[in-house]
Amino acid sequence: MPASASWASRPEDLVESLSSLDNTARLKAIRDVKNQIIGNKTKKLSYIKLGAVPRVVEILASDTEVPLLVQSAAAVGSFACGTDAGVRAVLDSGVLPHLLKMLQNGDTQVAEACARSLKMIFHSPLAPKSDMFQGHRMELLLKLLNHGNESVAEVAARVLARCCETKEHQLALANAGGLQSLVSLLAGSIKIREASLDALAALTKNNKHLSEMVIKLDNGDALASIIRLIKDKSSLTRLLACMCLANIGKACPGGYSQESEVRADMLSILMRLLDEPGQAGQDAPGVLADLVANNEELQKAAADQNAVEKLADFLLRKEVPSKQLEGVLLGLSELCSKLENSRRQLLDLQDLKSFNTSLALAAPLLLRPMVHGSLVAALRHPCDGVKVAACACVRSLSRSVKNLRTSLTSEQFVRPLLQLINDPSPAVQAEALTAVGNIVLDFTPQKSVIMQTDGIAQLINLAQSMDHTLRRNAVLALKNFLFMADITVKHRVIAELTIPTLCDLIQDPEEEVQEQAITLVRNLVHGEPDSIEQIFSDGGLLFQAIEKQLINPRPDIALQALYVINNVVSGSEVHKEAVMTSILSSQLASNTSWLTRFLQDTSNPQLRVVAVWCIINLLYPAGEDISSRVVRLREAGVEAQLHKMVDDSCLDVKSHVRTALEMYFGIRHIDGLQCI
Amino acid sequence: MPGQALPPPCTFLNVGQAFAGTQNVSNMNKDEAWKVNVRLQGCDMQNGYLCGSMEALNVPSAETPVVTFWEGELVDNRNYSFYTGQWDATKETDVKHWSKFASFLELREEVQKDGGKSLDLGNHPYIFMRWKEKFFVNVGSDCGLTIAGFYYVCFSRSDGSVNGFYYDPNSSPYQKLELKATNEGRAGHSFATYQFQ
Repeated sequence: MPASASWASRPEDLVESLSSLDNTARLKAIRDVKNQIIGNKTKKLSYIKLGAVPRVVEILASDTEVPLLVQSAAAVGSFACGTDAGVRAVLDSGVLPHLLKMLQNGDTQVAEACARSLKMIFHSPLAPKSDMFQGHRMELLLKLLNHGNESVAEVAARVLARCCETKEHQLALANAGGLQSLVSLLAGSIKIREASLDALAALTKNNKHLSEMVIKLDNGDALASIIRLIKDKSSLTRLLACMCLANIGKACPGGYSQESEVRADMLSILMRLLDEPGQAGQDAPGVLADLVANNEELQKAAADQNAVEKLADFLLRKEVPSKQLEGVLLGLSELCSKLENSRRQLLDLQDLKSFNTSLALAAPLLLRPMVHGSLVAALRHPCDGVKVAACACVRSLSRSVKNLRTSLTSEQFVRPLLQLINDPSPAVQAEALTAVGNIVLDFTPQKSVIMQTDGIAQLINLAQSMDHTLRRNAVLALKNFLFMADITVKHRVIAELTIPTLCDLIQDPEEEVQEQAITLVRNLVHGEPDSIEQIFSDGGLLFQAIEKQLINPRPDIALQALYVINNVVSGSEVHKEAVMTSILSSQLASNTSWLTRFLQDTSNPQLRVVAVWCIINLLYPAGEDISSRVVRLREAGVEAQLHKMVDDSCLDVKSHVRTALEMYFGIRHIDGLQCI
Repeated sequence: MPGQALPPPCTFLNVGQAFAGTQNVSNMNKDEAWKVNVRLQGCDMQNGYLCGSMEALNVPSAETPVVTFWEGELVDNRNYSFYTGQWDATKETDVKHWSKFASFLELREEVQKDGGKSLDLGNHPYIFMRWKEKFFVNVGSDCGLTIAGFYYVCFSRSDGSVNGFYYDPNSSPYQKLELKATNEGRAGHSFATYQFQ
């Protein structure tokens, strides 16, 4: 090899030559760089370090010769392919506007090379999203959808599919005529069809309005085209068509007449796609999750086709791509969201693969439930999407007393979940907190697993979050934690939460937080008199806060407050008298006591049932103060009201009204005897 | 079994509700009884599902109290009918056991005719159920008791009393369960709650 050739190919000199004033030298340099970096990550990184990327981009920005433009666009694509550092480098060099501009270049070769590079860039999660909606970029992309060159139209659809992330993006695209353009591409070649489906799926995701628009587009012809494509020869087309229809079905259930047949077809198609290699197989579990979401019938049909076992099998495999793992966990979460049989099937699956058959037969006890370890590993996965999906899966599995009584309340799950409720990602934090709400319900009075962690402090912290959903879910978790808890647990929660904070939550600006806080108090005062006493500590602040909620115009909130009062009346004489005083003072203040108002409420029998129980509890047990309470209740018009309810339309009310009246009768009878 | 309304609310089918009583084995060979405590831990009227724990105390054949976890089916003609269809119970076994409850007798004819599918059970003063123990909570399966069978249960809406008969082809027939709703020492009735998300 001549010495000069070796000198010319030195990387530093090649980079220098990229800015040569001689067109031929520039072309040669860029071609050499491009050839060296293709498929070679080390070389890519070394040229990035040497500052090659800005020079390559400069050629694209300022040159006009076709070969130079084609080579520089191709080099940009190579840098962006397969390495985040490469994507970052080309984006930092400001390549996007130049690539977009060059898509309109009159020369097909240039336009196609730029389209390929854009595709590479937008394959990466680092690609900008909102940026593409700034200025005239969106209009340009929409215009390019109708470009005569299919590669250009395809990349425009792909870029739109990747960038369209928010409702605003979706709406902006649709308002600019994007839906119509995309639908017209469905008749194109396989690549363009798939890009169009991809973009249509992005536009309809969680968007009822746009889903309805697609259903109605071209008098249903557009929808019919997508439905036809679920049976296409190409597996990726089938997958993407299913993705579109699953999004439309989820956002707009029952939106078109043949929906249930289409869904059933999609279920079988997706089940088969699970085994496909490549993107079709990787995305199939997530689409399956969207398909069966909120549809119990379809969840049953999926379970009948062995979907639980089939998806769970991926949890056992090594090196499943994150996106696929996320889809698998979401799929399992949906399948187990309502059906106890599916939950059991998943938790009872045994890891037969790790044992040979003879060993398994000889020692069945060695077989461990296989999903536990995989779920815990997924909770600790580096990728946020996987963590969210794993939390969702645990949440679905834990909607079952049986599962909570067996495996899910073990430290194995509790510790990682508690860690995740402080995750920096809001999505992970929210989903973990929801799962924790179920998991804390361990059905043992001592609640030892949570008591040994700092879980209570963490939940109390979140109960004071600025985000009202987090606040609501943290209070709900604390309420569940106090279900049938012993007094030690209750004392600890109240000591850490404090009565004033709990009162604030009862008067929270958000009604759903109020409701949860009141039900927390309901569990707090369920139990022995010591438990009830807590509502009267701190000068009775908590009791007063609950009393105020008895007149809340929302019946479900008032009902919970009434439950709290009922539980208080099941306590000591002092507790009963406190409630009695409350009844009488409300009578004085507004002529009709809250108790009578609940007895007269015809909106919800539950209100009347609990109100009647309050009376029964006030009359029990027959002790010293009973006669006086009977008289005071009669003066408050309660007995007369009970007489009006002997034929109440609700069986439960009717039967307990009778009990209450019998108690009245019994007490009067005893009083009569005493008088004699 | 569509077309049937949901059963109306029932105070004593609230989660956390405790029941206490006895189980009797009384036949020619033996006459034994032991104390039983039951706690309701789950109740989903929509799906006709109940579950809870059952504790058997001073069982002659067991050294310690035995706690089991059970799941129940509510005979609501929506989710479950009077016919068990599993656990070795034939239609004859079902009718024979249900008939031991006085409150069933007025329904028997309809049940024998067509399974009682047109009966309005939502407004009946008694709720019929099956309770099936699923696993031992605190002991091994060699504790001296079996959970192979299940209970036919008749539950009174008005006072929460429970009558039941255990059915297991391999155990003494008609072991009787008698429970009453209890306030566990409180001076009144109290309601706990939880909520799945």
